[in-house]
Amino acid sequence: MSSAAQSVPEFLHKVAFLQDLDDQTLSILAARLVSRTIKGGEVIFRELDDSDVLYIVEQGRVVVSKHVRGDVDIVLTRFNPGDFFGEMGLFDAAPRSATAHAESDTVLWQLSRHAFEQILSDYPAIAARICYRLVMVFIQRLRATNEQAREAIRWGLEATGYSPEETPATFGRKST
Amino acid sequence: MAEPAKLELLTRRPGEPGFEIHEVQSQQAYLGFRPGRPPETEWELTPQPRGLDGSRNYILKSHKRDNYLLLSPQEYFLWEHFDGHHSLNEISRALHFKFGSFDFEIIRQFLGKLYLAGLLNELQTTGLRRSVARRHERWWKGPLAAISKYWSRITIRVSDADHYCAALYDRGGFLLFRWSFLVLYGALLIGAIIAVSRLWPHMAEIAGRVATRPLLSTAIMLATIVFVAMLHVLVHALACKAYGRKVREMGFFLLQGLLPTFYADVTDIFLSSRRVRVMVDLSGPMVEVVCGSIAFIGAYCAEAGFAQSLLFGAGLVLWESALLNLYPFNFLELDGYNVLADLLAMPTLRQRALALVRRLPHRLRSGKMPDRAEWIQLGYLALCLVSVLAYLIVHLDAVGVKLFAWRSAP
Repeated sequence: MSSAAQSVPEFLHKVAFLQDLDDQTLSILAARLVSRTIKGGEVIFRELDDSDVLYIVEQGRVVVSKHVRGDVDIVLTRFNPGDFFGEMGLFDAAPRSATAHAESDTVLWQLSRHAFEQILSDYPAIAARICYRLVMVFIQRLRATNEQAREAIRWGLEATGYSPEETPATFGRKST
Repeated sequence: MAEPAKLELLTRRPGEPGFEIHEVQSQQAYLGFRPGRPPETEWELTPQPRGLDGSRNYILKSHKRDNYLLLSPQEYFLWEHFDGHHSLNEISRALHFKFGSFDFEIIRQFLGKLYLAGLLNELQTTGLRRSVARRHERWWKGPLAAISKYWSRITIRVSDADHYCAALYDRGGFLLFRWSFLVLYGALLIGAIIAVSRLWPHMAEIAGRVATRPLLSTAIMLATIVFVAMLHVLVHALACKAYGRKVREMGFFLLQGLLPTFYADVTDIFLSSRRVRVMVDLSGPMVEVVCGSIAFIGAYCAEAGFAQSLLFGAGLVLWESALLNLYPFNFLELDGYNVLADLLAMPTLRQRALALVRRLPHRLRSGKMPDRAEWIQLGYLALCLVSVLAYLIVHLDAVGVKLFAWRSAP
C-alpha cells in the first residue's frame, strides 16, 4: 500500500462522484486515498465482513456477488476502471452486503470512513458536493437494481414455464 | 420475442483459490425444472369416454381454485410424470417415446394451465410479468385489449349458486325430475300438439290480433322469453344437483363475447358419466317445450281474442327457442352443441374445429391428410356454415321480398 501521489488527481477525474471537483479539491481527497493491488481471483471483501471503506477502481475488473447456497453466488454487478464500490461502508457500520472479487489483476484506491469523516468536518463544501454526486449514483444504482430484480424474476418465470398471458383458459361448461 | 433471461453464477471449489463464472440461461434451467403435482387431496381426476379416434381425455378438477382442466392424452401423460422427480428434459423424451414427435410448446402451455388452476407452485408475479410484456406492445394494443377485457367481463354472477340451488332442490325442485313429472311433460306435449293442430286453421286471424297492439305484444313476448330463459338455466342447475354435482355459479354473460344470455356453470358434471351430462344438457330446453306447451293449451282453452293470440305467439316463440337451443350447428355452444360434443366425446369440438381450420392449409401443403376426428371437426364446421348461410338467405330473402313489395306498392 502507498499514499496517493501527484498522479492520482488525473485518474480521479474519471470517477463518477468526483467529476465536478477541481484539481485542488481532488488533491485534498487524493491525500487521503490508499492504494491496494489485488491479484485476479482474490477476494477484496466478503459478505458480512466489517465495512468501513469505499473502493475506486483504477485498473482491472471487480465482480460483486451475493451468496445463494453452498459454494454458489449470484453475480450482481461488475466494476471497471473509474467505477467505485463499497460506498455503503462510508455511511453505516452494517456488515458488507455482498462479496467482491478481483476478476483480473486490479489496482484499487481506498477511502476509509475515518478519512471521509475528516473531509466532512474539515471541508464541508467539498463534502456536500461529493455527497450530492454520491446520491446521484445511488439513485442510478437503485434503478439498476430494480431492473436486475425484474430480470431475475423473468428468469424464474421462464425457467419454470410460467407464462400467464399465453395461458389458455380453464375448461368449463356454462349451460345457457 | 425477448431474449431469454440470463443469470450469472459465481462458483468456488472448496479449498481451491479463485472462482468460475457461469452464465445460466432460463431455457437451460427450464429443461432441468422438475414440476410436481400437489397432494391428491387438492385435485380430482376423472377419465372421459373414449373419442372416435380411440383417445381418452381427462377432466382434472382443482379443489383449491375450484376450476377444471380438460387434459388431452398427452397432457395426462405429462400430469402423471409431474411427480417432482423427473425433469422436463426427461419427461419430454418419455413423451416422444410414447407419442412420437410433438410440439414442445404443449408442455409450456400445460404448465401454464396448471399454474392457472393452482396445481403447481405459483409465482405471485403476474402483474410484473404483464408490465414487462406491456413495454413491447404497440400503443393501440393496450386500449384495445382493455376494451375487449371489460366487454368480455360484462358478467353478473351468483357465486354462491350451489347453496341456493341445493336449498331449492331440497324444497321441491327434486319433483321436476321424478317419473310422474316426466309423464306430465309428455302429456302436456301431446296436448299442445293437438291444440296447435286445432288452432292452425285460424292462424291468420290469431296473428292479425297480435299485430293490433305491436308494442304491448313485443313487450310481453320479450318478458316471456327472459323469464323462461331464467327458468331454463335454473332447471339446468337443478338437474346438476339431481345428479349430486356442484353448480359453480350462475348469472348473466355474453356467450362467446356476443350473445347476452343467462347461464349456469355445470362443469362439475364432467366428473359424472356422459349420460348424466346429456340429461343435464336436455333438461334446459325441456323448460321451453313445457312452457310452450302450456301456452298452446292455454290458447286453445281461451276465447278468441288478444289473450289467445298472445298465448299462441308465446308458445311458438318458446318452441322455436327450444329448437334453436337443441340445434347444434350454429357456431354457438348451446345445449344441442353440448349434447353433440358429449356424444362425440369431444368437449372442445368447436375450439378444436376452429383451430384446425387455421392450420389446415399448412397441413395439406405438407401432404398430411386429416384423421377421423379432424374430419368430424371439419364436418361440424361445414354444417355450421351451411346452417348459418341458409338462415341468412331465408331471412334476407324474406326481408328482400318485403322491401320489393314495399317499393312496388302503388
